[in-house]
Amino acid sequence: MRSLLGFASGDLEVKGSAYTLGYAAVLGAACALLLTGVASFTAPYRRANADADRKRNILTVLEVPYPKKVSSEELVTIFETNVREEKSPELEIYRYVPSGDSVGKETVAVHFEGPGLWGPIRGFLALDTDMRTIRGITFYEQEETPGLGGEIAADWFLKSFVGKEIVDASGQAGIIIKGGGDQNALNEVDTISGATMTCDKVEELLNNVIEKIVQEKN
Amino acid sequence: MADKQPACMTCGSQGLCGGKGLLTLKEGAWKNNPLAIQMLGICSALAVTNRLENSLVMGAALIFVCVGSNLFVSLLRNVTPHRIRMIVEVAIIATFVILFDQFLKAFYWDMSKQLGPYVGLIITNCIIMGRAEAFALQNPPVLSIVDGVANGLGYAIVLAVIGFFRELLGSGEVMGYPILSSEWYEANQLMILAPGAFFTMGVVIALFNYLKGPEPEENK
Amino acid sequence: MSDTSAIVILIAAILTNNILLTNFLGMCSFIACSGQIRTAMGLGTAVTFVLTMTTMINYCIYHFILVPGGLEHLQFIVFIAVIAAFVQLVEMFVERFSPKLYFALGIFLPLITVNCAILGASLFMVIRGYNFLQSVGFGFGAGIGWALAIILMAGLRQKMRYSNVPEPFRGVPIAMIVTCVLAMAFMGFAGMVTIQ
Repeated sequence: MRSLLGFASGDLEVKGSAYTLGYAAVLGAACALLLTGVASFTAPYRRANADADRKRNILTVLEVPYPKKVSSEELVTIFETNVREEKSPELEIYRYVPSGDSVGKETVAVHFEGPGLWGPIRGFLALDTDMRTIRGITFYEQEETPGLGGEIAADWFLKSFVGKEIVDASGQAGIIIKGGGDQNALNEVDTISGATMTCDKVEELLNNVIEKIVQEKN
Repeated sequence: MADKQPACMTCGSQGLCGGKGLLTLKEGAWKNNPLAIQMLGICSALAVTNRLENSLVMGAALIFVCVGSNLFVSLLRNVTPHRIRMIVEVAIIATFVILFDQFLKAFYWDMSKQLGPYVGLIITNCIIMGRAEAFALQNPPVLSIVDGVANGLGYAIVLAVIGFFRELLGSGEVMGYPILSSEWYEANQLMILAPGAFFTMGVVIALFNYLKGPEPEENK
Repeated sequence: MSDTSAIVILIAAILTNNILLTNFLGMCSFIACSGQIRTAMGLGTAVTFVLTMTTMINYCIYHFILVPGGLEHLQFIVFIAVIAAFVQLVEMFVERFSPKLYFALGIFLPLITVNCAILGASLFMVIRGYNFLQSVGFGFGAGIGWALAIILMAGLRQKMRYSNVPEPFRGVPIAMIVTCVLAMAFMGFAGMVTIQ
């Protein structure tokens, strides 16, 4: 019954159908064209923003001073004056060499990334020039549960890494994130209660990069 | 939703809005407030109001998309084939949303990261689709623009109120500036999370109902 | 790209990261529809089906067409077009094979198209970089989670009909506040995902 009706009305609407299709095609093409045009227009800005964002993360973890309200261009300039990128086969390393009257100690930042519980975790690990002592750490991308795993980005957790070392007392490379461990052990960091899985993931991806760092050093 | 017919006296029936400008504005922003009265667009209202700044940007986004969509749907209302009108509406709305999203990513990067997928979700925001179907399809372009502004504004205002309270009580700050000092005020983090959103929204809508007074029979 | 198993993602999408109670997606139909448990179940099933299928289809389109072609900026339009087309198909299918369900769902069936949860799930899948299996798990779990929330809400609203709610709060406001408590309850599930 339904197909009969469709068949009958189809004849009456032949002209309408052509118009409908044509209309849809033109509208579709117009929208796609407009959007592609705008996308190419904004592409350089978007890339610059992403770039400045990344550079800002590196500057933060290296403790390079920069003004709070700063434009993307200024950020890039500060970055280029103070930070040197070092290429190595396995790692992305950024070295901060304080020049002239800029304050700070020479620090090295290493990029790390790996799978978290809900999405990729990416960040930078800042080390002293001895490539052993941790000066700081940041996570610039993570999708963990807010209030639990998401606390890895919280100040208190980040600070707990400062002064720790990436090798233990016997020289074995690797850090341990666990609860109720030895407070004095230099390569142990307290875990986040309720976020065991996220912390496990973080420990794993950090140890991956630490392994490579130690290999490079030797 | 039937729009009332009596004309207002602002620019008379010779003006661009055919005399209905002020009425449309009042209807959209207050009497028929899309969020509080029509209960549309709740998803994004809950999601982005954790900070006042996010609420304001989202409100601006909605005004932009609603005006753009209303304008073009109205301009094309006599040539659009009836069968595909919904898809056409969605296409126009999606285009404006993408435009806003691209400009946000280019010039207000931090905000783009804050709002995340919720900018894209404006496409499914029932307010815009609702206005396109109920108003723009039957009304001339300039009036449709007014309606877009009105509904967008109504949405933005409610969003701002919710965002203000959620940020204030949830983190002691407004627009990032600490107002309630952390020395004596322990921030109620629940306000920033999901339950706080539902609760604040419930209270705000109740407040709206209270201020509007009891409804005449035909509207409920 | 996380290597969390699809099952874990599925369970999380239902309980700890419930797409409605945590991400606020799908609220409109939630508010408008949840009066009767039966309708809520029907709608929940339909949404689960559409969610699972469209997440799968959108994954394929995104990774095999949009990304290689450098057309990521068109993802919103393409996703919503796929969803609209798919809902249209489902509507025709339901009308042909189950007129009773079609009648019961009424206007809500086409409204699934603008259910933010469906587009939202596809967008989340892209943002979180799920692989195919994870996307399926996520789509399915999100649907079940949404259905769960809406059925709970319908039950609660049925009970509330006999409560003495103050005038300004009647209807949506009290539903919102109840949802607040529901959301708080679901927050209690956090940390429970230890399936290995």
